[in-house]
Amino acid sequence: MRKYLVAYSIALQETLQRRSTLLMDRLGGLAIVVSLYSFWSALLGDQPSFLGYTRAEMLTYVLAINILRSFVFTGRGWLLVGDISSGRISSYLVRPVSYHGYALALDLAQKTVHLASSLVETSLLVLAVSGNLFLPKDPATWILFAVAALLSSLIFFFLEMLVSSLAFWTSESGGPLFCFELFLQFAAGAFFPLDVLPAGLRRLLAATPFPYMVFFPARVFLEKVPPSEALRLLSIEAAWLLAVVLAARWVWGLGVKSYAAEGG
Amino acid sequence: MGKWGMGAAIETHGLTKDYRSPVKEPGLRGGVKALFNRKYKDTRAVDSIDFRIEAGELVGFLGANGAGKTTTLKMLSGLLTPTSGEALALGHVPWRREADFQRKISLVMGQRSQLWWELPAQETLRLNQAIYDLDEIDFRRNSDELVDLLDLGEHLSVPVKKLSLGERMRAELAAALLHRPSLLLLDEPTIGLDVVMQKKVREFIKAYNIRSGATIMLTSHNMTDVVELCKRVIVIDKGRILYDGALDLLVRRYADYKILRARFSTSVSAEDFRALGTVVGSGENSVTLEIPRSRVAASAAALLRSYPVSDMNVEEVAIDDIVRRLFSQT
Amino acid sequence: MSSPVRRYARIWARTASMAMQAQLTYRLGSAGFLLGKMIRLFFFFAFITAIFSHVKTVAGYSLAETALFFLTFNLVDMIAQIFFRGVYGARRIVSEGDFDFYLLQPCSPLFRMIFSSVDILDVVTLLPVLAMIGVLFARLPPTGWIQYAAYALLTVNGVAIVLAIHILVAALAVRTQELENAIWIYRDVMFMGKFPVDVYGKPVRWVLTFAVPVAVMTTFPVKALLGILPSVWIAYALALSSATLAFALWFWRDCLSRYTSSSS
Repeated sequence: MRKYLVAYSIALQETLQRRSTLLMDRLGGLAIVVSLYSFWSALLGDQPSFLGYTRAEMLTYVLAINILRSFVFTGRGWLLVGDISSGRISSYLVRPVSYHGYALALDLAQKTVHLASSLVETSLLVLAVSGNLFLPKDPATWILFAVAALLSSLIFFFLEMLVSSLAFWTSESGGPLFCFELFLQFAAGAFFPLDVLPAGLRRLLAATPFPYMVFFPARVFLEKVPPSEALRLLSIEAAWLLAVVLAARWVWGLGVKSYAAEGG
Repeated sequence: MGKWGMGAAIETHGLTKDYRSPVKEPGLRGGVKALFNRKYKDTRAVDSIDFRIEAGELVGFLGANGAGKTTTLKMLSGLLTPTSGEALALGHVPWRREADFQRKISLVMGQRSQLWWELPAQETLRLNQAIYDLDEIDFRRNSDELVDLLDLGEHLSVPVKKLSLGERMRAELAAALLHRPSLLLLDEPTIGLDVVMQKKVREFIKAYNIRSGATIMLTSHNMTDVVELCKRVIVIDKGRILYDGALDLLVRRYADYKILRARFSTSVSAEDFRALGTVVGSGENSVTLEIPRSRVAASAAALLRSYPVSDMNVEEVAIDDIVRRLFSQT
Repeated sequence: MSSPVRRYARIWARTASMAMQAQLTYRLGSAGFLLGKMIRLFFFFAFITAIFSHVKTVAGYSLAETALFFLTFNLVDMIAQIFFRGVYGARRIVSEGDFDFYLLQPCSPLFRMIFSSVDILDVVTLLPVLAMIGVLFARLPPTGWIQYAAYALLTVNGVAIVLAIHILVAALAVRTQELENAIWIYRDVMFMGKFPVDVYGKPVRWVLTFAVPVAVMTTFPVKALLGILPSVWIAYALALSSATLAFALWFWRDCLSRYTSSSS
């Protein structure tokens, strides 16, 4: 356990040191938030509501996206692809350490920094637009939101590990990983609430873990989900997490075997 | 401009190059300090060197790592601008990077490649045809000649990533010489190659020099390259020229011996070998000797006759030792 | 000796063909990237159409007009991605020594840096964009040829500004080890160009018109087409592109003079 804590603290220092990279990442996210916020502001300028979202709710959705993105969408997929293609992964396979655990520790360090930053940004944004947001009063909402967000971030982590494991078999896994990440962002509702999409498409997506990652926690926060329903969906999300973890570990096992068979 | 002689291929006067690199203290503290107060360290890589090379010469540029050889070549090819001093190569100031000049030169760097990894080398040759503006006739003639000289056969049609290191090096040379440069600068061309490959590359360089009459300047920290190829050698150390003249004179004065390393299947004592040469190292069952050139063959034979040799190696003197000796003389 | 134009055209044709061949050796990776780009295009388009199935206008623009803004953005962005792709590898070109070869050979190193890499996948994604623009042109009320000309002129102008930005990024790559993420800032800020600039509040609009002229690149052409762009702004756009190009070229020459190739 200790080694993972050490990895976490080292990664934390490293992320803080690479200030310019951090700044770029945050600015990029900020550009997205500002665009979306302005867009919805303009859209809902004259309308009382849109698809059941009032102006305040929609804007809150956008800000929630900013926070959730910083927390959920930091994966170690590209790191894994790099480690496999360069051969660095061999050193991890030999040591008594779980790569997933190690990568998770690194990821948590990144998440810590990004989350802190996005909270600061969001507070500044909130001040800049002088309130007019939806803030839930029920403490249970906050707790549910936090739990859902936590599950989401773990699901994303293991999904990334799963797709990146392709690198064990091909040197071109970058393309599929890129495609996967892009699709996931849309399907998760990280650009716009999924209510916008036609019903058929929405039903299809409901059968995947994706909507649970941003759309669901955001809706919980906006208190659009009654508590009993929320608990039901939460348990489905937990089940998805379990499925994804198992799949990731299974594919990992296959990948390591295939990798070792080639003699490294 | 009175100092410039007539028609030299390369001529330098007081060529100097300083590098400026940022200095940072280790740790977080140092990092923060560096943010506000950037400190620099100046290193003089090349220190006021003068030399002159005539057209068609094959000159060796010898020195330890970091002695300034690569920096000099980079200045002569126009990659770097000197801090001070002057040079003319083929009548041009290299760092002006005039197209006319660039069409007549080529710089080959040992571990760098201009070949596109996923594609056959032939494609890079075609690209160079476009860059150097060669018409189809010249292109065919030059590339056929190089394929022949370098023994490339069908290798140009195979993706570069599928070639062996030796094949890749030869393809690299083909790409570099396609435009028939009259000045060829080679930076550590045999580095990383096995002994057989080194010999092949050396033979090619010699043949190319004779066939095309191109001026060739080659750097190496490996004495064997220079001994096999060059009549004239320039030794450089810490940016200064220590020796510029005939190779055999250098060898006679400072490298008049060779190094013999032998390993035996029984334990030996250094005392036994005093008669054959100077003992410079010994182990449980090994010994390293310095033997005068004229006596190497005889000593080696004697060794094999009288002792159970399991492995034996004869090498040229390391350049570091030559430099050290040169240094202590000047 | 051929004329410079012919020479450079030949060199470009060669490197473009080689870049495409090299890309096609990575079939899985290329397929992944292509699919990802298609997905992104599809989702945004679905988003826009879905929005407009619920509302009539956004910030005063109809569906056709908003779609045109979005597509013009894509047009400028994709042309840049197709032709100026080399800059994305600028850092690597310098650090791996390829740049030294550019300097040694009788061909402009800036030209090699920017134009040596053509992305054939983006050509594929460009076709639907062009087709849709054509469809929308047909849907617009009859407009004088002068407005179509203005659209074309300002689009080309937008590409010129993007070129200037790419030259700046290339110059930075030659000059310094840091700021390798410079090109990614550009991409993130360009995200804001997906929407007509009117949706943004005054301060942001100001920034996007004068500081980081995304508006000039993507919104102006459409506004000119719709006849709502006063000619003084057209003059500004042209002046801006000339000025930025001139500055970018000067900056490139300056950074090149400070170049110290990585020694052995």
